[in-house]
Amino acid sequence: MFFYYVRLAALSYKRNPILSTLMVLAVAIGIGAYMVVFTLNYTMGGDPIPHKSAQLFHVQLDNGDPDRENDPPDQLTYIDAMALQEAGRAFRQTASSKLSVIVEPTNPEIRPFSVIGRGAFADFFPMFDVPFLYGQGWNAEADENIEQVVVLSRETNERLFGGANSVGETVVLAGMNFQVTGVLDYWDPVPKFYDVNNGPFDSGEALYIPWHHTVQSDLPRTGNTNCWKPLEGTGQEAFLNSECVWIQYWVELRSRAEEEDYLSFLNAYTNEQRNLGRFQREQNNKLFDVQERMIEQEVLPDETRILSVLAAMLLAVCLLNTIGLLLAKFLGKSAEIGARQALGAHKGSLFVQHVIEAGFIGLLGGLIGLVLAYFGLEGIKILIGDQITVSDWVHLDVPVVLVTITLAIGCTIVAGLYPIWRACNINPAIHLKTQ
Amino acid sequence: MLKMTNISKVFRTELVETHALSDFTLNVEEGEFVTITGPSGCGKTTFLNIAGLLETYTSGSYLLDNVDVTELGDFQRARLRNEKIGFIFQSFNLMPDLNLFDNVDVPLRYRGMKASERRPRVEKALESVGLLGRKKHLPAQLSGGQQQRVAIARALVGEPRFLLADEPTGNLDSNTAQGVMELLNEINAQGTTIIMVTHDQELAQQSPRNIHILDGRIAQESGKRTPVTPAETAAAVA
Repeated sequence: MFFYYVRLAALSYKRNPILSTLMVLAVAIGIGAYMVVFTLNYTMGGDPIPHKSAQLFHVQLDNGDPDRENDPPDQLTYIDAMALQEAGRAFRQTASSKLSVIVEPTNPEIRPFSVIGRGAFADFFPMFDVPFLYGQGWNAEADENIEQVVVLSRETNERLFGGANSVGETVVLAGMNFQVTGVLDYWDPVPKFYDVNNGPFDSGEALYIPWHHTVQSDLPRTGNTNCWKPLEGTGQEAFLNSECVWIQYWVELRSRAEEEDYLSFLNAYTNEQRNLGRFQREQNNKLFDVQERMIEQEVLPDETRILSVLAAMLLAVCLLNTIGLLLAKFLGKSAEIGARQALGAHKGSLFVQHVIEAGFIGLLGGLIGLVLAYFGLEGIKILIGDQITVSDWVHLDVPVVLVTITLAIGCTIVAGLYPIWRACNINPAIHLKTQ
Repeated sequence: MLKMTNISKVFRTELVETHALSDFTLNVEEGEFVTITGPSGCGKTTFLNIAGLLETYTSGSYLLDNVDVTELGDFQRARLRNEKIGFIFQSFNLMPDLNLFDNVDVPLRYRGMKASERRPRVEKALESVGLLGRKKHLPAQLSGGQQQRVAIARALVGEPRFLLADEPTGNLDSNTAQGVMELLNEINAQGTTIIMVTHDQELAQQSPRNIHILDGRIAQESGKRTPVTPAETAAAVA
């Protein structure tokens, strides 16, 4: 009977095309608006590394200003980051920070250009499951020896080598020769969880080099730096020994026990530092996994929550209109419903028939709503495309399409319950006589 | 076969209480052709709706084919309607979006029959009313008389034991009405029990048994036909 009822729904649409189209449009507008906001929330608030997000922890040590009562800083000082890295107490760990570097192509036809890169330790790549198109990341030895090796992003490799396998090739960075060990495949986690405080929706870096180069090779740092007390002296040495925080630090811990051990280690470390005159606030070190970090950093802006409420209200208004239109449509079919009852339809079969009819309208509304959502998202890209690289990640993917269709059908059926109930409970005797 | 005993039906609103049927008692035997007459508002249609299980009653008892319908739920009443009763309405009540084949097919679909079983039965029913050749037409493409013949085919396709007709000729001109009556007589001659509500005294006089209702009660009854025997049925078919 399912296909029979679908056919009846299509015929019913044809019989009242204007009323039916109004309902489809009401559902489409409500669903379209809601799905634009849903897609934004879904993309911005999604888990960027779902299979591993509970094992990756962002480290925060509370070396803040003792005269203030604020949260521990988001980043670490050079002293602390190097101490944690040297201790190597986690399964994997990496300090990392952004840097600005001039690339000098060996091809004379390409002019030198400036890119944002990242200094990181070898663990960065396996920790974050970074995909490689060619080659691989460097190893711990390369970190130790501060080897001049580089991993290029897919785009940078395209720019320098036309997309060819460039492993083993040389790239000149700030006047130094770096050998390519690997080229990334497409990798642009959203939000950019490993460096949220420098822009959760920024693009990934153009290249990656061993972290010690950021200090040893005196490459220009970029990104957020906070100091709660003045430097004791001038120059790089003073900066490195200061309480300025500028390094993101992540560890991979595979179990709850490892997590507890590592936090104990951090607390022991900061206690030791406290004895040396640092860390003057009460112990408040933090280990946030990826999702906790996103929430703590409020990656999802308040505006999107307000938009969600507004979109939900618009959807509710559209569905209320749909209720009225469905009621008009179904009660307009009273004589047909009465005849069907006379011919042997029970209330259950009439209910199913009309649920399918409401679902049919919801399906059409959902499909048109998808088109509206697509254009809505394109509009958002135009509006805020310059601020963040939305064009790369705001799109309707398969889960969003499925959610849209399911939501449209579900909402329309729910909106149709009252009209359906009324239609199934008409007195056939009255309507058979008065057709 | 149809046995109503002291059936009463009261319609109540906040202000008024209307007795549509009062202590209405009627027995209809298998194979009878009964016409029901009476002035407007006397309770004819209420009787027909109760007989067709489209309406409940306030008190009394009703046995349809020896089944007490008083306590039956919606599902069982629908099933009984589908299997034992065929309806013919004054306004035909065909589904305007469905072609003739699909209109006649409706009762069989609710019976849960497979397409391969339904097709020959629908075609046979349409053939019996002379409209098989137009099975792909929509009801709007037919005259009133033809539409009523489709409604008769739809009522007969499930081979019901009762045919309940509510003013089946009310919307037809006299010639067409006569044609429909002849068809109903043929159907009755083949053994189907028919109860027909009509305003038309001439048609009522043609029927073997006429019941006149006044103020929800049987005021007058004329003629009582002996049920058709198998032999009579065979003769009629021949």
